[in-house]
Amino acid sequence: MEILKCEGVRKVYGERSKQVVALDGIDLSVGKGEFVAIVGASGSGKSTLLHILGSVDKPTEGKVLIDGTELSRLNQTQAAIFRRRKVGLVYQFYNLIPTLTARKNILMPLALDKKKPNQEFFEQIVNSLGIADRLEAMPGQLSGGQQQRVAIARSLIYRPALLLADEPTGNLDQRNSKEIIDMLKLLGRSLEQTILLITHDEKVAMEAQRVITVEDGRIISDERRR
Amino acid sequence: MWKAYSSDYIKNNRSSGVSVMIAAFVSAVLLSLLCGSFYNMWKYEVERIELEEGGWQSRLTGAFDRQDIETARNFANIREAAIRDGEGAETVMELYFDDYRAVFSDTPRIADQFGVMPEQINYNYALLAMYMIRSPQDTAPRLLFPMFVAILLLASVSLILIIHNSFAVSMNARMHQFGIFASIGATPKQIRACLLQEAAVLCAAPILVGNLLGIAGSMGVIRLSNILLGNDIPGRHEAAFGYHPLVLALTLCATALTVWISAWLPARKLSRLMPLEAIRSTGELQLKRRNNSRVLARLFGVEGELAGNALKAQKKALRTATLSLIFSFMAFTVMQCFFATVQISTRETYFERYQDAWDIMVTVRGAEMDGFEMAGAIRELNGVESAIVYQKALAKTIVTEGEMSGEMKALGGFTHASDQYVTEADGGWLVNAPVIILDDNSFMAYCEQIGAIPQPDGAVVLNRIRDVTNPDFRHPEYMPYIHAQDSEENAASVLRRQGDTETAARIPVLAYTDKVPVLREEYATLDYYELVHFIPVSLWREIKGQIGGTEPDFHICVLGGEHVTLEELDALQSRIDQLLRQTYGTESENRIREYETNGRQIQGMRVIFGGFCVLLAVIGIGDVFTNTVGFVRQRKREFARYMSVGMTPGEIRKMFCVEALVLAGRPVLITLPLAVVAVGFMLKMSYLGAEEFFAETPLAPILFFMLAIWSSVALAYRLGWRSLRRISLTEVLRDDTML
Repeated sequence: MEILKCEGVRKVYGERSKQVVALDGIDLSVGKGEFVAIVGASGSGKSTLLHILGSVDKPTEGKVLIDGTELSRLNQTQAAIFRRRKVGLVYQFYNLIPTLTARKNILMPLALDKKKPNQEFFEQIVNSLGIADRLEAMPGQLSGGQQQRVAIARSLIYRPALLLADEPTGNLDQRNSKEIIDMLKLLGRSLEQTILLITHDEKVAMEAQRVITVEDGRIISDERRR
Repeated sequence: MWKAYSSDYIKNNRSSGVSVMIAAFVSAVLLSLLCGSFYNMWKYEVERIELEEGGWQSRLTGAFDRQDIETARNFANIREAAIRDGEGAETVMELYFDDYRAVFSDTPRIADQFGVMPEQINYNYALLAMYMIRSPQDTAPRLLFPMFVAILLLASVSLILIIHNSFAVSMNARMHQFGIFASIGATPKQIRACLLQEAAVLCAAPILVGNLLGIAGSMGVIRLSNILLGNDIPGRHEAAFGYHPLVLALTLCATALTVWISAWLPARKLSRLMPLEAIRSTGELQLKRRNNSRVLARLFGVEGELAGNALKAQKKALRTATLSLIFSFMAFTVMQCFFATVQISTRETYFERYQDAWDIMVTVRGAEMDGFEMAGAIRELNGVESAIVYQKALAKTIVTEGEMSGEMKALGGFTHASDQYVTEADGGWLVNAPVIILDDNSFMAYCEQIGAIPQPDGAVVLNRIRDVTNPDFRHPEYMPYIHAQDSEENAASVLRRQGDTETAARIPVLAYTDKVPVLREEYATLDYYELVHFIPVSLWREIKGQIGGTEPDFHICVLGGEHVTLEELDALQSRIDQLLRQTYGTESENRIREYETNGRQIQGMRVIFGGFCVLLAVIGIGDVFTNTVGFVRQRKREFARYMSVGMTPGEIRKMFCVEALVLAGRPVLITLPLAVVAVGFMLKMSYLGAEEFFAETPLAPILFFMLAIWSSVALAYRLGWRSLRRISLTEVLRDDTML
């Protein structure tokens, strides 16, 4: 089942002589439950692609469909609600809300919809991520690894169609990095979650089922691994 | 380098300095207003003393001739010597000095030269104290300067407490940058100097402009006081505005010092931070511990909780705004309620109670009424319905157990009386017996009014006493004071001289009554046990040798008829003044004008206090604006985070609306219960009914002040939101330099 589909996605920044082409005709299809790594050098366009997929940015040309929704047709409010329900975003610097506890950070997307969490699912996630005993802590009281686990839990709480992770291990030490990637793999398998991970770390990329390499805004290789 | 860095920063971040500039400006206005007003108060007081007592610094009493005056003039430091009063050995020579500090050392030497004894030297202590020249012999409290220093210190410290936060917010916003400077070798002193230089550059112009505005404000205060009080307070001379370069220097120093300390406190703290600590600072809102906003969460959902938490995280940054908005609104509300209570109370206890008692009240200075011959002429003036001439004297009388009324005995007699007013005497109690001496015609009319036989040789005793157990002065309950003697034909009262109660005069009592003549007088206000006697002036002439004790002035209470207008009263007042001025020194009051003056005075006080409240609110509102102007810098990452987890712009806007609502609503929520308690206390103290207050509650100004605060905060948040929503989410998420 196809969860993500990109057709001729092009993103251009600036005007006329100052134009920079960040993405140049990206065609991509990702199926449900796939764990995909996008790799590329700095400035290759991988973060731009992630922003477009996360509906925080719009392509200049082309179509992006996630779970049947075309992102370019969404207005600001629709895009926000789409992000809340269909996409889980994980960043290198966690981006937790510093004024809320870990628990409230995780439940935030549901709270915005005035929905109560499925307690069983909530416990499954926090137990899998090993943060059950840190739920009442403020983000400032957590280590980097713990903050990233909370961010992952938040991105999964709505059972999104797609989990987008932008260098999720970029700010972590080796041990924490490995643990985070293992957890993503495990959760991906157990929840049948589609994960799209951006990294420039080859070791991390090697953990994915599929590795897509981007260079100068184009996909230059799409390798499926066992 | 610092200069270049600072000037670039100031040029490129004008908005971030706004609150600092507002804070410096408001401080300068307040301190300049305070110093300017004080200087004029001092100047007015000097002028008053010179007018009332003379401008001399010391004077000698002895026998002086022209030669002596010339000799005195030849002394160093003596500007002028003059003979003013007295004859022979009682001649008074007034000395005027160039250097006031020499008064206490030179005067005894001059006195010695003329053989004048030290006890015949007088100093104008009141005047000298105005120049801070004091003598140990002057024991009177001269509190003007200590009071000013205390008020100035209090104002400065309060301003430092309020405005240092504006500096802190502006400085802390750049903590990251200063962390980088520190990491490359800038010393704490250099960082501090840089911050203070910036503060100086930002504050110089506001301090100067604020000082000038403060001077203009003090000029306004003087003009206002002249308008409000100038013509209507008897004996008051008009204040002329003045200013002295030294006052400007003092004001500038006080303002600069206040602003400098306010800037130095956060600069010192920032410069002492470890470089890494400063670099790590993202300027983001953080909560150190779990802090739920349950009420807001319940009322407004997750947006309410986020708003509450954001406000808690901004607690320090918004402290100035919160405090000044709360205090200004609270002070304004309580002040409005206080003046409303005063106005109702004055109207009910003074104007309404005495409305029909007088229209023109003349005080004849330094004269005895028994020699006054012009009562008839006043009564014949066009527009005069009646005129009562009266003077007060104080005597004593003894009230015996047998004379006490049954009602008074039932309440314990004199057991509640203070020793100050009532003392036990042979066979009874010695009480005050104020004597109200009326001109014969008015006394006769009074006798007729109360149903007594009019006779110019007896007294009417006011036979009533307040229920001393009921402190409600607004609704007093009266009862008979003494047991009226059965045969009033032989009734008499013995009045005794104050200070020499053995000297007494026995006077016949024509009647005991609980009715008083129509005069603008209150009886038994402090001393509930005084026994008031109304007597005709003819009788007073006979007994004044024994009793004495008259007040130095006497009064003429004139009624001008029903529905008299202000113009008619003004004309009548001027006719009476004209008639009396030739012979007597008089001061007169006019009921309608006094009523209007009272209203204007209260209004003026409201304007002055309201002005201070507005200035205080301006600091808070300035701070709110600075905070919201800094939203782009401080909160874009927070904004991006909300967006990235799927908050819609509408939900974020709702969150900011809740923040603004809490910030603007808090002063009202805190003030309302306090105002209710304060009003309750005021009503209790003044024995006013709640319904009387509610009928005249100053809702309009309070609502206007509240709406002004609300709309300013709403505008500030609207501007903040407008600038924030322009931010590109992609750019913020990509920008790691903040971290």
